[in-house]
Amino acid sequence: MDRRWFTLISFALAVACSHTPLAAQEPPPLRWGGDKNGGAPYIFEDDAGNLVGFEVEFADYLAEQLGRKPVFVQNQWDNLPASLLRGEHDIVLNGYEFSPERHDETPTTVPYYVYSLRLITRANDANVTSWSDLGNANPPKRVGVLRGSASEKYLQARFGDRVILQPSETVTEMLDVVRDGRGDIADVTVQDAPAAAYYVQSGRYPGLRVVDEPAGFGYYVILTKPGDDQLREQLNEAIRKAIRTGKLKELYKKYGLWNAAQQRLSYLAEQPWPEVAAELDTVEGEVQPVIAPKFSGILGKLGQAASMTLFLAFASFPLAVIIGMAVAVGRVYGPAFLRVPLAIYVEVLRGTPLLLQLFVIFYLLPQLGVLAEAEWLQNLLSLNKYAAAIIGLALNYSAAEAENYRAGLLAVPRGQMEAALSLGMTPTTALRRVVVPQAFRIVIPPVTNDFIALFKDTAVCSTIMIVELTGLYYQYKIYPNLVLELALAVGLLYLVMSYPMSLLARWLERRTTIGGAR
Amino acid sequence: MIRVSNIVKSHGTLRILNGASLEVKRGEVAALIGPSGGGKSTLLRCINGLEEFQAGEVAVGPELRLAGGSAAKETLLKLRRQVGMVFQQFHLFPHMTALQNVMSGPVYALHKPRTEAEAIARKLLERVGLGEKAASKPSQLSGGQQQRVAIARALAVNPVAILFDEPTSALDPKMSAEVMKVIDDLADDEQFQAAMVIVTHDLAAVKRIADTVHVLEAGRVVYSGPASEAFATGGAAANLE
Repeated sequence: MDRRWFTLISFALAVACSHTPLAAQEPPPLRWGGDKNGGAPYIFEDDAGNLVGFEVEFADYLAEQLGRKPVFVQNQWDNLPASLLRGEHDIVLNGYEFSPERHDETPTTVPYYVYSLRLITRANDANVTSWSDLGNANPPKRVGVLRGSASEKYLQARFGDRVILQPSETVTEMLDVVRDGRGDIADVTVQDAPAAAYYVQSGRYPGLRVVDEPAGFGYYVILTKPGDDQLREQLNEAIRKAIRTGKLKELYKKYGLWNAAQQRLSYLAEQPWPEVAAELDTVEGEVQPVIAPKFSGILGKLGQAASMTLFLAFASFPLAVIIGMAVAVGRVYGPAFLRVPLAIYVEVLRGTPLLLQLFVIFYLLPQLGVLAEAEWLQNLLSLNKYAAAIIGLALNYSAAEAENYRAGLLAVPRGQMEAALSLGMTPTTALRRVVVPQAFRIVIPPVTNDFIALFKDTAVCSTIMIVELTGLYYQYKIYPNLVLELALAVGLLYLVMSYPMSLLARWLERRTTIGGAR
Repeated sequence: MIRVSNIVKSHGTLRILNGASLEVKRGEVAALIGPSGGGKSTLLRCINGLEEFQAGEVAVGPELRLAGGSAAKETLLKLRRQVGMVFQQFHLFPHMTALQNVMSGPVYALHKPRTEAEAIARKLLERVGLGEKAASKPSQLSGGQQQRVAIARALAVNPVAILFDEPTSALDPKMSAEVMKVIDDLADDEQFQAAMVIVTHDLAAVKRIADTVHVLEAGRVVYSGPASEAFATGGAAANLE
């Protein structure tokens, strides 16, 4: 071997060997999963963009106790257990409540907070002043909850169909809805006590108030991966230490979260976990047993959700087609001054996500009225969620349809328009009777394709609290016993509903092919 | 009657018609001939209002006048309803049957009741020998049949003039003959009083059916006169043969 190569390889090996022990000594970071969109006081960003919140400080403390560096991993709240199981992070620390089913799936630590649920109403709402008012209302009250949260399960277990649950992604989104009196979405909201304390009881939302006593007590726990017993025991020890030394009390006081219920932590932390939880449930009778619904029990809701999906698709697509056709005709045959604005319309709607457009229409448009201090404008722009969904889908898809029809119009030979004009038809009649019908036939395949795509895109409407098929899936995927059957059923329903449309498209193509049999 | 006076038509710096003038009387068959690129088709399209021209005038009948520059929509509509056009490439509407194609002018331009329009259309299809093809789509017809439907369609609005823009040049000799027979029949029909202007390179047909010949060269009509004189030795059209 060349002497120089020998020297180089020897040096590389020496460097590698000298670094290996050092690397082994460095403990891996403690990757903790959470969702900052859940908001204060759990995990949120301050004015400077720094991550703050009682769980952030608690994660720092735990990592310090374990001699590891804390690393925050962001994920959507209800997907955190799944990403934990995939190994994306080591623990989940984000207001997850204990339940035996959850413990079986992702073993839990001893509790670090005793939570309760608080009923939040508008300050001047005389109709709901207690939990019992919720159950007795006719028509049923709409109650906003965080999707997949303890409050959602608690209300389902306690009130069943006597309330209409409206899941949202963030706490503040729902607080805004209740404060603004958007009863078509939610009359009241039920949130975990920390959020109620931080936002409402602290006066950050002057238009809202917390009513009645806390209910639905439970325990926030940290989720770990199955088999990661050593880490879980280390975390348990660190939590016990935080309770014993008063560190946890100090932290909760800082965020205004300390209350008498937290005294239980001292007892709970020293008992065998999770056996003591069952014992406490029996003794205190406070924690509502979570009754996991059966698949057969939600078949009716699946049917309703499927109907909603169909309704949204069939209501919005014809609008998209009409607007799209008008835009395309304007761009191809319209006056020059119209062409630039129409091109901008198409590019803006085509170039921005449907999700964002729905969000703007539903949440931000009414704010224009607030900014302009014009109540009539606010009322005008406060579309109900169905109108917002239909308009949003129609506008978004109108851009794609406009491009389809523009291509179709340009594909019709110019001589067709001239032949129609030479007969004495007006340009409008020539377009309507001669050019557009031909363009329509040309674009049937892409338009049908778009309809099927829109049909599936109705799923995005779950973000504005419409319970269609995907929304229903999100609602019930918190129950591990249901998730597989539900996913299969929802997928199958989409397929069963969209396949006939593919067949219809093929039939239409055959039926309308220019020159084909009549 | 059609009277074209000093039409000037340019595309950018290219002058296509340079003061072209001609006159065709009621019941007269006029052939517009000349070398390729001389502006024959453009002149027909100006007469029908499909092309805007910069100067000059087109007069149809005693009242209707289309002057150079942008024309009023109403004038254009009136003009087109009185001047039918048959195109080289037929331009039948492919999503309609032969019958619907012929009915399209009466129904959508003249707003006649459908029953009346259908009666007109069926009669005209019979006249061009396609009564049995009323329900056929254009793609189910031969080129010659399509052009005959196109002629019926142009006739259906009952025009005072009809313009043929190279009606047989896209057809093989057999189909050309079918189409020319229809045009011959129209020319021979004493009852048919519309003025006809035909642009064609088929000089045999011109000799057979044309009453007058207009020779267009470099955007200007260099000869207007009887067909017999045009093709006589030393005549304006003699060198085109």
